[in-house]
Amino acid sequence: MAGWKYSRLGNTEILGGLTTSRTIQLGRVTPQVPGNRTVYCNDREANALAKFKGNSISTTKYNLLTFLPKGLYEQFRRLANCYFLMISMLSFTPVSPVSPYTNVAPLSIVLIVSLIKEAFEDWKRLQNDKSINNSAIDMLQGQNWESVPWKKLQVGDIVRVKQDEFFPADLLFLASTNPDGVCYIETANLDGETNLKIRKALEKTWDFLTPDIASEFDGEVQCEQPNNSLYTFSGNLIIQKQTLPLSPNQILLRGCSLKNTEYIVASVIFTGPETKVMMNSMNVPSKRSTLEKKLDKVIIALFCLLFCMCLIGAIGSAVFVDDDYFYLNLKTKRQGELDQFNPNNRLKVAALGMFTLITLYSPIIPISLYVTVETIKFIQSSNFINNDLHMYHSATNTPALARTSNLNEELGQIEYIFSDKTGTLTRNLMEFFKCSIGGEMYGAGVTEIEMGGARRNGIILEEGEKSSNTIFDKGFNFDDARLMRGAWRNEPNSDACKEFFRCLAICHTVLPEGEETPERIRYQAASPDEAALVSAAKNFGFFFYRRTPTKIFVRESHVEKMGQIEDVSYEILNVLEFNSTRKRQSVICRYPDGRLVLYCKGADTVIYERLADGGDDLKKRTRDHMEQYGAAGLRTLCLAYRDLNQEMYDSWNEKFIQAKSSLKDREKKLDEVGELIEKNLILMGCSAIEDKLQEGVPTCIETLSRAGIKIWVLTGDKMETAINIAYACNLINNDMRQFVISSETDEIRETESKGDQVEIARCIRDTVKNELHKFHDEAKQYLQAATGPKLSLLIDGKCLMYALDPSLRSMLLNLSMNCSAVVCCRVSPLQKAQVTRLVRKGAQRITLSIGDGANDVGMIQAAHVGVGISGMEGMQAVMASDFAIAQFRFLTDLLLVHGRWSYLRVCKVVSYFFYKNLTFTLTQFYYTFQTGFSGQRFYDDWFQTLYNVIFTSLPVIFVGLLDKDVSAFLSKKYPELYKEGIKNTFFRFRVLGIVAFFSVYQSVIVYRFVISSSTESVTSSGKMFGQWDVSTMAFTCVVITVNLRLLMTCNRITKWHQLSVGGSLLALFLFIFVYSFFFTYKGIFYTIFLLMSTFYFYLTLFLVPIAALLGEFLYQGVQRWFFPYDYQIVQEIHRHEPDNAGSALLEVGTKLTPEEARSFAFAQLPGQSSRHTGFAFDSPNYESFFASQHGVSAPHKAWDVIRRASMKHRKAPKHR
Amino acid sequence: MNSDGTSSTSGATGSGDSATPRRNSKRPKYSKFTQQELPACKPILTPGWVISSFLLVCIVFIPIGLASLFASRSVVEIVDRYETACIPGGFRKDKVKYIQSDSNKTCRRNLTVNKDMKPPIYVYYQLDNFYQNHRRYVKSRSDPQLKSKSKENETNDCKPEATINGKAILPCGLIAWSLFNDTYSFSRSSQKLQVNKKDISWKSDREHKFGKDVFPKNFQNRTVKGGATLNASIPLSQQEDLIVWMRTAALPTFRKLYGKIEVELKKGDVIQVTLENNYNTYSFNGKKKLVLSTTKWIGGKNDFIGIAYLTVGGLCFLLAMSFTIIYYVKPRRLGDPTYLSWNRNPGGGANN
Repeated sequence: MAGWKYSRLGNTEILGGLTTSRTIQLGRVTPQVPGNRTVYCNDREANALAKFKGNSISTTKYNLLTFLPKGLYEQFRRLANCYFLMISMLSFTPVSPVSPYTNVAPLSIVLIVSLIKEAFEDWKRLQNDKSINNSAIDMLQGQNWESVPWKKLQVGDIVRVKQDEFFPADLLFLASTNPDGVCYIETANLDGETNLKIRKALEKTWDFLTPDIASEFDGEVQCEQPNNSLYTFSGNLIIQKQTLPLSPNQILLRGCSLKNTEYIVASVIFTGPETKVMMNSMNVPSKRSTLEKKLDKVIIALFCLLFCMCLIGAIGSAVFVDDDYFYLNLKTKRQGELDQFNPNNRLKVAALGMFTLITLYSPIIPISLYVTVETIKFIQSSNFINNDLHMYHSATNTPALARTSNLNEELGQIEYIFSDKTGTLTRNLMEFFKCSIGGEMYGAGVTEIEMGGARRNGIILEEGEKSSNTIFDKGFNFDDARLMRGAWRNEPNSDACKEFFRCLAICHTVLPEGEETPERIRYQAASPDEAALVSAAKNFGFFFYRRTPTKIFVRESHVEKMGQIEDVSYEILNVLEFNSTRKRQSVICRYPDGRLVLYCKGADTVIYERLADGGDDLKKRTRDHMEQYGAAGLRTLCLAYRDLNQEMYDSWNEKFIQAKSSLKDREKKLDEVGELIEKNLILMGCSAIEDKLQEGVPTCIETLSRAGIKIWVLTGDKMETAINIAYACNLINNDMRQFVISSETDEIRETESKGDQVEIARCIRDTVKNELHKFHDEAKQYLQAATGPKLSLLIDGKCLMYALDPSLRSMLLNLSMNCSAVVCCRVSPLQKAQVTRLVRKGAQRITLSIGDGANDVGMIQAAHVGVGISGMEGMQAVMASDFAIAQFRFLTDLLLVHGRWSYLRVCKVVSYFFYKNLTFTLTQFYYTFQTGFSGQRFYDDWFQTLYNVIFTSLPVIFVGLLDKDVSAFLSKKYPELYKEGIKNTFFRFRVLGIVAFFSVYQSVIVYRFVISSSTESVTSSGKMFGQWDVSTMAFTCVVITVNLRLLMTCNRITKWHQLSVGGSLLALFLFIFVYSFFFTYKGIFYTIFLLMSTFYFYLTLFLVPIAALLGEFLYQGVQRWFFPYDYQIVQEIHRHEPDNAGSALLEVGTKLTPEEARSFAFAQLPGQSSRHTGFAFDSPNYESFFASQHGVSAPHKAWDVIRRASMKHRKAPKHR
Repeated sequence: MNSDGTSSTSGATGSGDSATPRRNSKRPKYSKFTQQELPACKPILTPGWVISSFLLVCIVFIPIGLASLFASRSVVEIVDRYETACIPGGFRKDKVKYIQSDSNKTCRRNLTVNKDMKPPIYVYYQLDNFYQNHRRYVKSRSDPQLKSKSKENETNDCKPEATINGKAILPCGLIAWSLFNDTYSFSRSSQKLQVNKKDISWKSDREHKFGKDVFPKNFQNRTVKGGATLNASIPLSQQEDLIVWMRTAALPTFRKLYGKIEVELKKGDVIQVTLENNYNTYSFNGKKKLVLSTTKWIGGKNDFIGIAYLTVGGLCFLLAMSFTIIYYVKPRRLGDPTYLSWNRNPGGGANN
């Protein structure tokens, strides 16, 4: 009891801390609009006053009118585009030395491409909306069902939805063709879960099924205002002057579809944009990669450089202007022109000169950089990551999926991985493995963890040959001759066994599906644990085969007579649901003979608190067993029961009904009522379920840690389980110094037992503080000692709550940063996200979160990169993630191969852009000095325009797509190569400095050589070159130089490289030929032909690029030989191997290991879709049963109805 | 370590589609592109490559350099700077006033030939500090007007030298207006040397940029003349001085071809130059030079290309040598795993 209260308080404390410290924001629950909504069903006139929105939706961003302004606005939110808009506008003024199109053309291309993309996407959305809005639904008009399009629906209308149809709006469920007013829905569109959920109408409304009766329905619904919380609803239905409370159980959300029900009748309450699903469909703010943010800094640096260059030029211009240059005729003012060069107003000269030069030097900012990088990243993710055969999981038929293309290169710089345990490291394939009944241990298997532990101690445990009578069933991996095949009857405690199995068969919220035979039945469970327990009961001879809202049918093998079976129906009176605070689930059932029993199963701590006195021996032995199971990495549950008498039950049930129908704090009241009856329990035993490690996890973790990535496991599990999993997957070992901060100390327990909240908080805080200080100092010593052991930190959720306190946070961070492994157990989803934030914000490191369930959504969103495990479970984690992979081990490929390559490529592309535009602009800058700072352009307008667009654009895209230093196989063989990304080796300012240096060097060579060699006559005919001849020469040299330099920096050269570089140069010459041939009025006219008639041209063309690239060639040679990067050594080691050495294995070796065969076989079975998020079968709870901790408040569940129909049935006959 | 490979491929091993064909397989299709396995050459910049590349450059560049330098050196060039010398002593203090006055500006210069000069000998004038590449100057021209008669009123770009009394100037603009007007005539031992002024401009300019039926109009009709006047009866396509002048120079110091002397000059010859020193470079302190030069295949006298080739070639030789030496002094085995950073730092190594 005390513990329970404590949990509640802890919960609010966390939330309190949340709002004050603002460290974390989870979800985007919009604040409730105050006030109520009143809906008059079946009465359009009455509703008209309220002016509810219609049911047509629009997900488009634009319409015809707003497309241009809004679309352009979106584009110009990008700083670079804004800058180029400004430059373009400047280039229309007379200060501009270049024609407007020089700047307008590239900008327009960029904008048009982006706008077309936007328009196309929006058009698709529009078509989608149209087809949705026009889909038909049966609406009640008069006394008939009439088919109308969805968009015609209004609040208050009565509609009929047939099987497999989608709900057109948020509906109030009135009546169903199913008995007992239930219907089944599928919520795949909402949360990706495919298991069916049950909804139940209020009994009062069951009869409004046919049009003539339904037309008389005149209920009035008072409910909350539209909001985006999918799992809550509160309101009342006023019908015949009776007020009936409504719960989410009566609400059918738009986007879900009706299953297993012929049709239902419902009334519309929220329409169109006000439906919960629409209010949820806000765009998730997209994440930007760290590299991209660094890129912004580079751009800013370029801006500064640009400014300096312009300033120098402007000052020079002001100094230069002088009347004495009579041939410039500076004094005469040209009509309609800015008086830019008036020597009498030098300030103006400088100011206007500034603008002139900004226009002239504008190519220093690479306009096409963002577009190019986006294109490259998009192709990387859509063609490479999504199609990687190494990341395709055949058992679940799931390829990898990049849900965003923004973060590819971020994958190459991950330093911290936060991993969920269940379903991520482990398979979440729960198998009933062992049990302890009445103090006797059953089950002969050995877990992987035990084997791993034995291996560490030098013993090799062979898993014994399974006895032939092993039953091969999903969720059941149990082998003990004493229990199997009815043998339990001969056990000394056969009664206990019987009770135990019955509890397994009755106390759950599983839905059976399919044929009612043990072989063919499928169990729809909210969690695989539940399904495993039920199928265990089946295998022990207690076959649960049918559920009605009031009854559970179990085919029991006869207790006395072997081989005989009898069908028994148990009436379910109440279900006390599982939630994270209760950590237990109870069912009150009535035997056919009238016996009233409460079966309860739950976490050991909560069950033990509620046990009746006595039976200490049993309690102790069971506890011992549970500890053993925990050490073996098994998930344990305690089972208990209690016999009830009728009077006691009746009085309790009244309270229960009251609580159930209360509008305020219903959850809390229900919990309290539950407490009243869940006591004096009698312990039966415990079950142990194995959660197997996923394939390849230990290897993957070892590889990742060699890559310098630190892995933190954040789990809701018990500390022992978490430690065992950590051992099993090589995360921690006995050589490590383990710092354990646990709330399970005697001191804390003692304080807790006293029950003083303030005292408990103080006590834990002090403990945490002391421990942290102690460990922190110790860690410091180890670090100074240089050869200290590796460190690991283990902390539980309760302690973490205090350690995350602002005063201790930095110390926690310091300590954990020095640890190579960190395990946080018993943490809530919120804490998972907080820890992620802590490292992300506090340590400024790049983080990745990986998880599979709804409880991981917070941390997936909080990390730089979120990865969801797909193909197994619900979709929430995947929906929130940036990348989805099917198996944890695919992280190796995702990070070490794709991430690393993307990082290298993007770095290369960005620095190349930086280089080529700087080189180009610098030659222009030098020329300014020789034109009296007048801002005369060195290159022709079109040259300048096409430099970025055509002559240098394609090759770099191919480098961004195809370049790789070492093959995928070697990337994984040498995971240490990944450290280059973590250290950001290739995009540091030092690296950019070197690039800038060579850019300056090369631009000087190009400019100086071309200029100096052309001052005299250049042909034997004595004729001289004009400025445009020189400029064409220089331009040709620049383009050739930057293209060759690209080839020099490539690690590999494919035919695409050759084609694109060759193509670019070809395009250059073709363009110059055509351009200089046809444009008589241009200065450029005929220049290339004059040039080509001279020896000078060929001599210079040969000399300049080689002289310019010589420096870089030398640098690369020296760097490689004397200061090699790791990847270069690896390249050298494997220089003789063909590239595809590793992938040759890809197509051969189709033999499955037994383990794989088993999981494959399961994948072939008709899918039992389930989630591990909680016990109640219909609600996407935020936590797993085992992750049950304070944290996010448990969302409302819709299993239980206020009063069982059967209860009423006996009092008053049903009036139908 | 090998387990990495196996674990990474086992995902695909399970996908033996032949064993369990499935219709809706989402298995990505194999292609060399999507699996990023395109064949490629992987150049590794080993010292061997570095040294041989340097040597190759050296071997190719030095002969080219020598040839270019030899050609350039065999060009004979006579340069005479005359802008100060041609101002009579009394006017040296205010040169601008002298040049703007109407006095006789004829000036005589004697040039001595140091080396035999084979015809054709090219006559250039060289101006200094003259910004033909100034933005205001460059754009002050009208190419359409120069090309075709019908467009003679297209003078928009020519301001401030666009019109006079409302009539279009032809050729308009600052460039034409400031046409160079010093003239040179040469004689050797009182025997006149003919200066051929034909074919001193690029053929493409004469034929395509300046019209055959376009004649100068209203040119230099202002009181302040910027430079030379043009004979209004000769079409622009034959006004080669103008054509040369209007091919604006890239740098503020530039040479322009004036004419050709088609007689051989012997060593020791003294050439008398009679020049009309009309052009005002005095207001902006510009130098004026007269240049007589022969040419070779490489053009005029310019050692730059030759020297550049030789320098680069020589540098490559030095680099190749020093690289070889360092390579032997401090050798490194290609692909030596001990160079891997995680093997160099203590506590990292799995490889050694």
